Amino acid sequence: MDSHKKICLGIESTAHTFGVGVLDFEGNVYSLVNDIFTPKEGGLHPVLVKEHHLNNFMITIKNALSKANCSIKDISLIAFSDSPGLGQVLKIGALIARMLSQILKIPIIGVNHCIAHIEIGRLMCNIEDPLTLYVSGGNTIVSAFESARYQIFGETLDLSIGNMLDSFARDAGLAHPGGPKIEKLAQKSNNYLELPYIVKGMDLSFSGLYTAAKRLIESEQYGKNYNLSDVAYSVQETCFAMLTEVTERALAHTEKKEVLLTGGVAANKRLQKMIEYICKEHNARFEVVPLKYAGDNGAMIGWTGILRYKMEGGQKLSDTFIKPKERMDQITVPWRD
Amino acid sequence: MDSNIMKEKIIHKGAEATLYYGSWFDKEVIFKYRIPKKYRIEELDKTIRNDRTLNEARALIRVKDYGLNVPQVYEIDTKNSIIVMKYIEGEKLRNALESLDNSRKEEIFKEIGRYIAILHMNGHIHGDITTSNIILTKNHKIFFIDFGLHEYSDSIEDKSVDLHLLKRILISTHGKDFNMCFNAFLRGYHQEYCKEATEECRQIIKNIDVIETRGRYVKKEERL
Ligand SMILES: Nc1ncnc2c1ncn2[C@@H]1O[C@H](COP(=O)(O)OP(=O)(O)OP(=O)(O)O)[C@@H](O)[C@H]1O
Ligand SMILES: Nc1ncnc2c1ncn2[C@@H]1O[C@H](COP(=O)(O)OP(=O)(O)OP(=O)(O)O)[C@@H](O)[C@H]1O
Ligand SMILES: [Mg+2]
Repeated sequence: MDSHKKICLGIESTAHTFGVGVLDFEGNVYSLVNDIFTPKEGGLHPVLVKEHHLNNFMITIKNALSKANCSIKDISLIAFSDSPGLGQVLKIGALIARMLSQILKIPIIGVNHCIAHIEIGRLMCNIEDPLTLYVSGGNTIVSAFESARYQIFGETLDLSIGNMLDSFARDAGLAHPGGPKIEKLAQKSNNYLELPYIVKGMDLSFSGLYTAAKRLIESEQYGKNYNLSDVAYSVQETCFAMLTEVTERALAHTEKKEVLLTGGVAANKRLQKMIEYICKEHNARFEVVPLKYAGDNGAMIGWTGILRYKMEGGQKLSDTFIKPKERMDQITVPWRD
Repeated sequence: MDSNIMKEKIIHKGAEATLYYGSWFDKEVIFKYRIPKKYRIEELDKTIRNDRTLNEARALIRVKDYGLNVPQVYEIDTKNSIIVMKYIEGEKLRNALESLDNSRKEEIFKEIGRYIAILHMNGHIHGDITTSNIILTKNHKIFFIDFGLHEYSDSIEDKSVDLHLLKRILISTHGKDFNMCFNAFLRGYHQEYCKEATEECRQIIKNIDVIETRGRYVKKEERL
């Protein structure tokens, strides 16, 4: 590592991933370390997640620094996720960031997690002004930059896509996370069972689809007329077609020339293929964010922190509060103008 | 095809359909052709194209009864998912809006609000109210198009979602006019709806805010 470069440490702590990234102000990432809390059963309990992050943050930061081949003293900026997410978990990230900022006497900056997903995608894919489809365990958003903001053109009205896939998988007896397992199973079938397809303008609803899929595996026909692969295939074909339709509608509406696919669900090959298809139709460039940067990670927080820091400088410590419900379209992005 | 029927040029490639301008006997028309979408499997694609074509044609015919300006339907070809409808000469509100003066903007949105209220009161949900789906004609008429996602419903939730879609498109695409236009829209909507059901109208409008705080970021402990 070049010792003359300015280095930022980014901390991601909105949900089950405690992530740390070390990168310089030009966007070269030196290390990326994630410590992911996986519940033994059921959903995520904020208290358990919080405990996990508290127990592991020191070692995670140490690992990230040593992988980056640098010492804590080389850091000149701390960025942390201040929104949106679980309040208790966001607080941990903020606490650690404030502590480091005070001890090291370096500036601190809070970052919106959703915007960070887009910014790291723009950096890694070298893409300028994309329409973004951000699909993960917590979010399902179609966004593009318009009149000084990352505007939300479409989103889910109920469940997020990842949550729907994981919940269905859990009901079918598959281990968490269910998305990749459903993808594998789906490859073994081409027997389509009809499921509710619900699109409202550029918005989506997955709860009807979830209930119907669940009913299919509880039915007497299950295991006789069709199997789990068939249901997995039908779920994927339905929900990904919905996502593709609203993305195409947003693409036609915004007339953007680039499309970025990100979030954990972006790993799905079938979804990638569908989105790629509409991009060809509209002569738009298509990019999937590389996997380690598509899921939650510290580098995305660091990079977005750097972008804002370059425009506005650091935040006052007293301004570094967390905002669990903040929407990405409420935030100005001065570096995009 | 009949020589009296001619597709002349593509005027729009949308998410759902390719639209051709052309002639049908002595009339200027639009061919709304829901072409197969190869990204989805054939079974699903066929159903969607078929349903939406029928759905849109039926809605266009029905909502005329309420005094709404919509293109007249001349022919429906369900086999190929094509609707032949009257060509409406004018400009999309999306493109026209910026050059209008403020009082005209307010007038238009108030009028749109009135018409959407009439639809809702009669159990029709437009399903995709955007400024791309409204055409202004030279003689100041407001035409509503694109009823592919139309639904029948009397529920407050469905009506609120309909308004929420318009609200969001105004924020994202016409940011600086959002407040003025949406307020004018709500005034028109409220005025018309309250002729019949004040309390229901209040609930529909209130529910828009509820929808907005949903979906966003569902806290993980609140997930299924
Ligand atoms: N191949 C795949 N196909 C479908 N879904 C997948 C695949 N791989 C991962 N997923 C899903 O991605 C989700 C995890 O996404 P991510 O790593 O972005 O974490 P997250 O905490 O849910 O994200 P965020 O906080 O940004 O909402 C899970 O729902 C998982 O099932
Ligand atoms: N009857 C008509 N007369 C004149 N122009 C029309 C007519 N119908 C549609 N158009 C034009 O074609 C465009 C697309 O039409 P429409 O919204 O019905 O298609 P779509 O594929 O559903 O679009 P999207 O799904 O992207 O909203 C309209 O914005 C309008 O400019
Ligand atoms: Mg349209």
